[in-house]
Amino acid sequence: MIGRVTQSSMVRDFLGHVQSLQRRTAEAQEHVQTQRKILTPSDDPGGAARATRLRSENTDLNALHETVGFGLSVLGAQDGAIGEAQALLTRARELASQEANGLTSPALRAAAATEVEEIERAMITLANTTVGGRHIFGGLATGDAPFTSLDDPGFDATDPYGGPTDAFYVRTGEDGARTRLTTPGDQVFGDAILALENLRQTLIAGNDPAVELTGLEAAADSLGLERASVGARSRALADRGQDILGSIQTAREEIGEIEDVDLVEAILDLQRLQSALEATLVSGQTLQQSIVDYVRL
Amino acid sequence: MAIFAPLSIGRSALLAHERAIATTGQNIANAETPGYRRQTTDFASQDRSQGFGVRVLGVEQAVDRFLEAQLLRQSSLSSGADTRRDTLDRVQELFPVDGPSVGGALDAFWGAAQRLADRPEDLAVRGDLLARAEELAARIRQASGGLARHQREVDDRLAGEVEEINSHLGAIAALNQEIVAAEAGGERANELRDQRDLALLELSEHLEIRATERANGAVDVQIESSGVSLVIGGDVQEMTVDVGSTNGIDGEPLSQLGVRLLSGAVIDVPGNPGGRVGSLLTLRDSDLVDLSADLDDFALAMRDAVNAVQTDAAATDLDGLVGTALFAGTGASDFTVTLSDPRGIAAAIGTNPGDNSNALALLDVREAPQGALNSATLSDYYSSLQSSAGSSARLAADQATVEAAAQSALQGRRDATSAVSLEEEFTDLIRFQRGFQAAAQLISVSDGLLEDLMGLVRG
Repeated sequence: MIGRVTQSSMVRDFLGHVQSLQRRTAEAQEHVQTQRKILTPSDDPGGAARATRLRSENTDLNALHETVGFGLSVLGAQDGAIGEAQALLTRARELASQEANGLTSPALRAAAATEVEEIERAMITLANTTVGGRHIFGGLATGDAPFTSLDDPGFDATDPYGGPTDAFYVRTGEDGARTRLTTPGDQVFGDAILALENLRQTLIAGNDPAVELTGLEAAADSLGLERASVGARSRALADRGQDILGSIQTAREEIGEIEDVDLVEAILDLQRLQSALEATLVSGQTLQQSIVDYVRL
Repeated sequence: MAIFAPLSIGRSALLAHERAIATTGQNIANAETPGYRRQTTDFASQDRSQGFGVRVLGVEQAVDRFLEAQLLRQSSLSSGADTRRDTLDRVQELFPVDGPSVGGALDAFWGAAQRLADRPEDLAVRGDLLARAEELAARIRQASGGLARHQREVDDRLAGEVEEINSHLGAIAALNQEIVAAEAGGERANELRDQRDLALLELSEHLEIRATERANGAVDVQIESSGVSLVIGGDVQEMTVDVGSTNGIDGEPLSQLGVRLLSGAVIDVPGNPGGRVGSLLTLRDSDLVDLSADLDDFALAMRDAVNAVQTDAAATDLDGLVGTALFAGTGASDFTVTLSDPRGIAAAIGTNPGDNSNALALLDVREAPQGALNSATLSDYYSSLQSSAGSSARLAADQATVEAAAQSALQGRRDATSAVSLEEEFTDLIRFQRGFQAAAQLISVSDGLLEDLMGLVRG
């Protein structure tokens, strides 16, 4: 408790209060104008660190989402190509069945051989499918096609694949989890190309193609298995994409909760401070009063 | 009692009230003078032996020595806390919450690494990763440069502080001499003391000092923490600024504060002298150095972790060659990207150029605990660095508020004792005016009595 009240203490207290209120008003104004609670780390050091982490997580989630989109486009292209390959193989099996009953003429067998050759060429083209210049059955590498062409003198139906033997993985989880995008092409198309080549050679030789049906069945199984695997990975990746979108939303909301100002509260706060400032300034008018006004010396 | 007694009593009262009115006038005149303490005229009645009446014992200053000592100390704490708050508030801006920052650039770098893992052969993606690496390196250098600039600025301010300190020391020593001379006659040199106390208060903003008054009225000043004398009676042991042996963050030498003894020898100022100088020294030698060391640790961990993946013996670039280092530097200040050809990024393991295995390994660095960073990930370490800069600024701001409130309270108590209240002075003025009028009346009455007596004689 201060015993004596003096002009200097009154003026100093008054100035101190006005300055403190003005500073707080300016801060409140800045919060309302920027609509943010945390403008510098010192506003809330813990919150700022959390927001920085969340923002970093958010950047990562967006990158992951981009990867998921890329992965889905690759798997989608694989699914389409394998679907077409399955159709080609079905046609080859029809031809083999037709030619296997022994009732056809050598001319028809020769024609069938020509059609099978076209099918084989189409199969190799599908196996060399690219998305954005990258071979989707060749480890997503660019450059030379992974499967040798039928016209290539070095073509060997038992080993037509010269691409990467490793699968291509992408990072799809914040924890470093990965998703396989490719299967080495020989595992997908190897059986089909060999079976078609065998069928073609049998037809050219004028032999009964019935023996080739087993190989064609096995090739169809290989394609079917791979397509199922592609489908499963596609679905898993699409789900992952949804999860990531959900996480992005959550992270954004959390950043908002940490950083964004509650506008109603901020405006009320500002009004309260302004009223307090006005009241203090009004009270300052009493500083002008003095005994001099009342006493005639 | 002699007939002349009332006349001499009236005279003494007239003189005493005249003196009191003069003191009140002095108080009113100096109501707004910084450091001025109100004065009061002490009266004492005189007995028969002294011829009755009143005499002025002296003009006393209203002063509480204990409070004054507290105020000196508080002034050091307060100005030190203000300096700390102002500097740390600006330092934390090097680690912004939003906008371009090391953290943002680090995130962008990982984003580019993720795209590299998706498209390892894409030159545009590789170029983007290098650009992000450049951006990250630039942000780290910028933050480090900012810390170095703040440290240099703090160091430069020390020289200015010393100049002001020496000017105050000179003033105090000069006032010491004047006070000793003025008080040799027994009268207190109140106004000179006020000036000296003001100089002491101003000095205490720079340093935490101990002021000891000698019997002759002179004041000796010592640095509180170390006891090194700065003022000895009328002599000054000035503070000095020399080139020190420690280098700053920018590699240039920092200054060393010293005291030039009366013998001419210069000694280093031991320990932390408190006040603004103490705060500046703590900022320069502790806060900024610590932040800079943390930033260096971050940069080196980034360099080593990324380079280890990039230069892995099995890792190859787009041309099938073993990768070379991506980052170089001995700390944050010279952190650079050494790789200039995007083809040189070793994204593959083995000779297949389409392989992304090493790009995935690079991405693993993102979440990997770094041994050099107390097992924190790079991102977490950076955000804790940011948080620590924010916490320091917050603490400093809170401390400054507390010290300012304490100083204001002490100032209030000092004012309650020592400051001039105009209402009080006006009331005193009326009081002494009435006293003066009454004394004059007494003289007039005595004169009347004498006149009557003379009339009887004249008969």
